[in-house]
Amino acid sequence: MKKVVEVILLLLLLVFTPHAKGTGNSPPGKPTLTRCRSPEKETFTCWWEPGSDGGLPTTFALYYRKETSETVYECPDYHTAGKNSCFFNKNDTSIWVNYNITVVATNALGSTFSDPVDIDVVYIVKPNPPERVTVIVLEDKSWPFLRVSWEPPHKADTRSGWITLVYQIRVKLEQEKDWEMHHAGQQKMFNIFSLRSGGTYLVQVRCKPDHGFWSEWSSTSYVKVPDYFHREKSVWILIAVFSAFIFLILTWLLHMNSRSLKHCILPPVPGPKIKGFDKQLLKNGKSEEIFSALVVCDFPPTTSSNYEDLLVEYLEVYVPEEQELMLEESKDLHDGCLKSESSTSDSDSGRGSCDSHTLLMDKCGEAKEEERHTDQERMGTEAEDMVSPDMSSGRVKTWPSVFSPLPQYSSNTLDEQSSLEMAKQHYLSDSLFLPSSTSSYLTQPGHGTKEALGPSYWEFCLSNKQPHLLHPQTQARQQLQAHSDVNISSIGRKEAPACLQSPLLRPTEYVEVQRVNEDIVLLQPVVSGCGQNNCSPQMPQGKDYSKVKGVDSDNKLLLQREIMEEDRCPCEHQETNGVRENCYMSSAVTTTQKPTAMLVQDEMVLGVNGYVDTATMCTPPTY
Amino acid sequence: MDRAVLLLSVLSLGVSSQPITEGQRLFSIAVERVHNLHLLAQRLFTEFESSLQTEEQRQLNKIFLQDFCNSDYIISPIDKHETQRSSVLKLLSISYRLIESWEFPSRSLSVGPAARNQISPKLSELKTGILLLIGANQDGAEMFPDSSTLQLAPYGNYYQSLGADESLRRTYELLACFKKDMHKVETYLTVAKCRLSPEANCTL
Repeated sequence: MKKVVEVILLLLLLVFTPHAKGTGNSPPGKPTLTRCRSPEKETFTCWWEPGSDGGLPTTFALYYRKETSETVYECPDYHTAGKNSCFFNKNDTSIWVNYNITVVATNALGSTFSDPVDIDVVYIVKPNPPERVTVIVLEDKSWPFLRVSWEPPHKADTRSGWITLVYQIRVKLEQEKDWEMHHAGQQKMFNIFSLRSGGTYLVQVRCKPDHGFWSEWSSTSYVKVPDYFHREKSVWILIAVFSAFIFLILTWLLHMNSRSLKHCILPPVPGPKIKGFDKQLLKNGKSEEIFSALVVCDFPPTTSSNYEDLLVEYLEVYVPEEQELMLEESKDLHDGCLKSESSTSDSDSGRGSCDSHTLLMDKCGEAKEEERHTDQERMGTEAEDMVSPDMSSGRVKTWPSVFSPLPQYSSNTLDEQSSLEMAKQHYLSDSLFLPSSTSSYLTQPGHGTKEALGPSYWEFCLSNKQPHLLHPQTQARQQLQAHSDVNISSIGRKEAPACLQSPLLRPTEYVEVQRVNEDIVLLQPVVSGCGQNNCSPQMPQGKDYSKVKGVDSDNKLLLQREIMEEDRCPCEHQETNGVRENCYMSSAVTTTQKPTAMLVQDEMVLGVNGYVDTATMCTPPTY
Repeated sequence: MDRAVLLLSVLSLGVSSQPITEGQRLFSIAVERVHNLHLLAQRLFTEFESSLQTEEQRQLNKIFLQDFCNSDYIISPIDKHETQRSSVLKLLSISYRLIESWEFPSRSLSVGPAARNQISPKLSELKTGILLLIGANQDGAEMFPDSSTLQLAPYGNYYQSLGADESLRRTYELLACFKKDMHKVETYLTVAKCRLSPEANCTL
């Protein structure tokens, strides 16, 4: 119920208010001063907004008061500036003076004052926009640019310096949205660069006093930039063509000189220049082969040269001439070691084994002996010198090979056997040797047969001597004793140890000497063990017969036992023939002048001669 | 031939403009300095005003009209007409006096310690420059044509008496007056400079 009443009242009110409005008058609403502006700092205008007019015709009045006086003045001009405005002309305008302005709205019912506004003309300056803005297109080295020029608003007195204006320009392309701003300062002309060819530009200018407001933008100026794009394009086309041409030329040149360029830039890698270096071996990957290939025979050169000095030249052993050989050998033997390397197919290239003076001789002697033996094998006729088998183990090893075929000969003749026997007798063990040797020695002359011993015979000290050998030795000894030739026995003794001496060094193998005939002596390896008594104990003895005591009537060389190395068993060579004595002894050697032979003549080769080295073997003298 | 003519003309210009150039240079410097001072004053005032409450601002507006600046006793042209009617020397002297009047009170400008430090020496320098300009332009016997312009009222006491009262109102007034006076000097100097320069177009 109440609600309905309220609603009715509301409605009534609504109905009546317009009626009341229409009929009733009220004093005018309060006007408000919206703004006051001075375009040139000489005059100014104020505008106000009227409030509600209250239904009655309202009049407005503007009153102002200057700061220094209390006098109220009314606006002198209401019309010049338009409706609801007040224009202050030059006479009424004072600069640096505060104005207190009030607008009053008056109607029949009353008047309403607006709020006062304080202004200082200096700070309300807003000039008019610049005038006569002109834009032209100029060219700077074939590149176009815009030149904008204008004039200040005619009212602004910039000439006397009363007002100072700064300007601003904005530019944009016709189709674009954003403006490009340029600040021009106080000048009245401006250049714009970086234009797009063929585009239409819009230009506007505005100004502002040093302390004031910006003016409105001037009216738009349109300008069209001419096309200069085609000029650009032609240049680029030209450049592209030119560069393509150059590129082609370069390519052609490169192609022509590809090889030399390749050689220049990527020089070929030089191959290795090492003597004996085989690339194939390297590729195969067998290092041993490579390194062995690298081993050159004449490296190191110095040693070889020294070697040369020390060594004797190689012996050239050739089959037909035994004697020559022997002689040669004998001579050579004196000089030094032989290069046995070549003779032997010994893979061991260590020449060091030949370096030692003594060893050299030994080995050379051995080598020579070996050679001889080999020759003999081939020939089967030569008498071989006694060679000490106690060379290097390597050499000794060859003995068996050398001597293996020998047994063929052994069975030939009785004489041979006898000689063999005899030879066997020579194998030593010292004491036994003595008698044996002597016996043999003695027997020969006794028998007058040289055959037994032959001009040359080899005495080999074999490690393994058969006991039967000893036997004859003992027998020989006995015989010797029977002969009671002291010298001989001594000699024999001497000889014996001499023979023994060799095995001292290398008591590894012994070879049996078997005489085939006068000139040929065959060597046979003795399987049997050495005559212990004779050999071994004798071995350590360093006795040797190296001194020649004298020569007997029979052209025998008498040797005395000396503590020297002697390799000469051949001292026994009791040779009717001149024996050259190869008993060279390191200490003192007196060779017999007599050509009594030692057993050997040609066959005797010596390996070692003159070497009175225990290491050496008893070698029959050769000459 | 053309080059010689050009060279001669330039030289003549240089020679003829020789005495004025110096004055113009000094004027330019003075105008620039006072312009900067005015900007500074404007900034100070704006900062002060923004720091005020709305209520205080309204009150200040009401009060401001009743007060006046210390430099009001200095009669100065207040419109363009008067300014243009005044001689250069008059303008310079007025400017000098205005600047001088603010040398001491500027120290009491309490809006920011930095501003206070800057204003006083700048004013001194400007005063020196204006004095130079006066000396340069004092050709003629117009030493003191207008006695009104030389009325040197004691100004120092005015602010000193009220210097103790560092009220908000006082600060506001000081800043406003300072700003106004700086603008005055700027305008006078600019007008004087443009009057002396032979170029028709004064806007350099």
